[in-house]
Amino acid sequence: MPPFWIMIVILGAAVLGYALGRGRAVRAVSGNTRLLHSRPNYYGWNVALLTAVPSLALLLAGVLAQPVIGGEDRAPSNGGVFAGVVLVVALAGMALALTRTTPAFRARNVVERVIRGMLILCSLIAIATTVGIVLSLVFESLNFFRLYPWQDFFFGTEWTPSFGGGSELGILPLLWGTLYISVIALLVAVPVGLFAAIYMSEYASKRVRSIVKPAIEVLAGIPTIVYGLFALVTVGPLIRDWLAQPMGLGNSASSVMTAGLVMGMMLIPFVSSLSDDIINAVPQSLRDGSLALGSTPSETIRQVVLPAALPGIVGAVLLAASRAIGETMIVVMGAGAMARISPNPFEAMTTITVKIVGQLTGDNDFASPETLVAFALGLTLFVITLGLNVFALYIVRKYREQYE
Amino acid sequence: MNNMYLAERTVHTQAQPIKFRCSDVQVWYGEKHALKDVSVDLQDKTVTAFIGPSGCGKSTFLRCLNRMNDTIPVARVTGQMLLDGDDIYDRRVDPVQLRARVGMVFQKPNPFPKSIYDNVAYGPKIHGLARNKAELDGVVEQALRGAALWDEVKDRLHESGTGLSGGQQQRLCIARAVATAPEVLLMDEPCSALDPIATAQVEELIDELREQFSVVIVTHSMQQAARVSQKTAFFHLGHLVEYGSTDDIFTRPQDPRTESYISGRIG
Repeated sequence: MPPFWIMIVILGAAVLGYALGRGRAVRAVSGNTRLLHSRPNYYGWNVALLTAVPSLALLLAGVLAQPVIGGEDRAPSNGGVFAGVVLVVALAGMALALTRTTPAFRARNVVERVIRGMLILCSLIAIATTVGIVLSLVFESLNFFRLYPWQDFFFGTEWTPSFGGGSELGILPLLWGTLYISVIALLVAVPVGLFAAIYMSEYASKRVRSIVKPAIEVLAGIPTIVYGLFALVTVGPLIRDWLAQPMGLGNSASSVMTAGLVMGMMLIPFVSSLSDDIINAVPQSLRDGSLALGSTPSETIRQVVLPAALPGIVGAVLLAASRAIGETMIVVMGAGAMARISPNPFEAMTTITVKIVGQLTGDNDFASPETLVAFALGLTLFVITLGLNVFALYIVRKYREQYE
Repeated sequence: MNNMYLAERTVHTQAQPIKFRCSDVQVWYGEKHALKDVSVDLQDKTVTAFIGPSGCGKSTFLRCLNRMNDTIPVARVTGQMLLDGDDIYDRRVDPVQLRARVGMVFQKPNPFPKSIYDNVAYGPKIHGLARNKAELDGVVEQALRGAALWDEVKDRLHESGTGLSGGQQQRLCIARAVATAPEVLLMDEPCSALDPIATAQVEELIDELREQFSVVIVTHSMQQAARVSQKTAFFHLGHLVEYGSTDDIFTRPQDPRTESYISGRIG
């Protein structure tokens, strides 16, 4: 019997167990449910959970272990036995739970304990995923550093991968592109987003705010590939024709400037929305205190509100920065694919994320440094953004303590 | 003991020039008529107390005196309020300049999250009251001395103002208001968040501040009004019921509502 059908049978048994458990509990007190320790539903849930949880866990373990202990060819012969064992466990669970269903049995406590266990399990899954991602990155990166010297990776200024051998795999040109584009993006997003937030929280009337704020947040819902198209079709040619060529700085439509500008637009709602919340959290009494001393609204904002909100705003900016560093699609379409270190913002450059995609697309074996380098790049990126996030969280938390 | 205090106080209640002349002041919050036909003359260099039950309009009236109601979009004020003869609701008057002349201390201490020094220096800096650092230092020291806080904070002027105790924070806020050199100081229940000892310190301070300017204080505590003020105004349901010397209000009230309130029957 395939695992899917076993699962359906177990769930059916659980539903049956629910009805039986509930009925048995009600019958035991001949309908006067106030004599039960718990509400009748809990007795039903108790039976259902004891039927389904252990058997489903066994089923999952069996399915995961099958390739290890069984092997494909032996599966059918063992499959029948295994299905039987699982179903027996389910029925045994149901029987045990039913025999325990007496009016004094604390069904609610048992059910709530099981549910709490499931909640813990779910949060563990999220953590385990992160750990799993990091471990896979670390192991593949170690493989890479066995094949390629780490000094050349971290300090090399050339990026010329060739699958025939003799590649130069220095991260610096990619890091330069990443940071350059991110800085331009933040130079666009931080002032625009912050000023929009100041307008919304300090000057706008309630009605304007109720329209403007969602309108800005719509920007956050646009998929980044659409921003990429915008960069490729509109912003790139515009910058080339009106800025780069007249100034004699280059004639490429894809450039650091293009990607940076469009990415900055993408980040505006991040910065404005977070900053708006933070500025709103500054107590009104501080504004009143400042206004009552005869300062103007703008002096109040500059000298009292913004300094009070500053740590939170810094946190918002750092979160935006880690988004910028990890962004891929806009860069692929806006910045080009040339790995180089150049101060000219109108030249095509590339970033770590783009090169990770580049190294892993196509039919490559996972043993050459040219493909394994992607994991080392990914790990570097992960460490940078993790560091930024931790720093941002630290600052945001410190800020929170001030007003609560 | 209170009576002795009162008796001593009456000696100083000589007629002072009128600082604020208010007539027919009405305030609406949206549809709500919060203040009705209030006419009152406030003396210079005098402590005037506003008393009355919650929601009677005393804080509303206080906030009219420096146009803090302007910050509430639905508030509407009519009537005439003359500060030294000039209408403060005239269109040519900038509320920002007015508030530099009429300072305010709030119910809850609200020091800025800056150093003690910067809290006090905030107003003088904005209004350009000091030409250089040394002068500013002088202004700050004088204001902190004026608020009876100097000895407690002189060694930690550059620590955060929010780290002080509640009573110290409130005195810091008073110092901050005093440093701007106002002509009138409004206080909206300045002691309601303080313990008795801090309250006593602030009350003593209010009495000293009377030497320099007109002080208007809103309070829930009738004992406090009796202790610190020379003039008292009793508000009830948006009306100014009675206004006179503190002595008269507390010993010979004219209106039955005032009498009920001070004897604890309403409010």
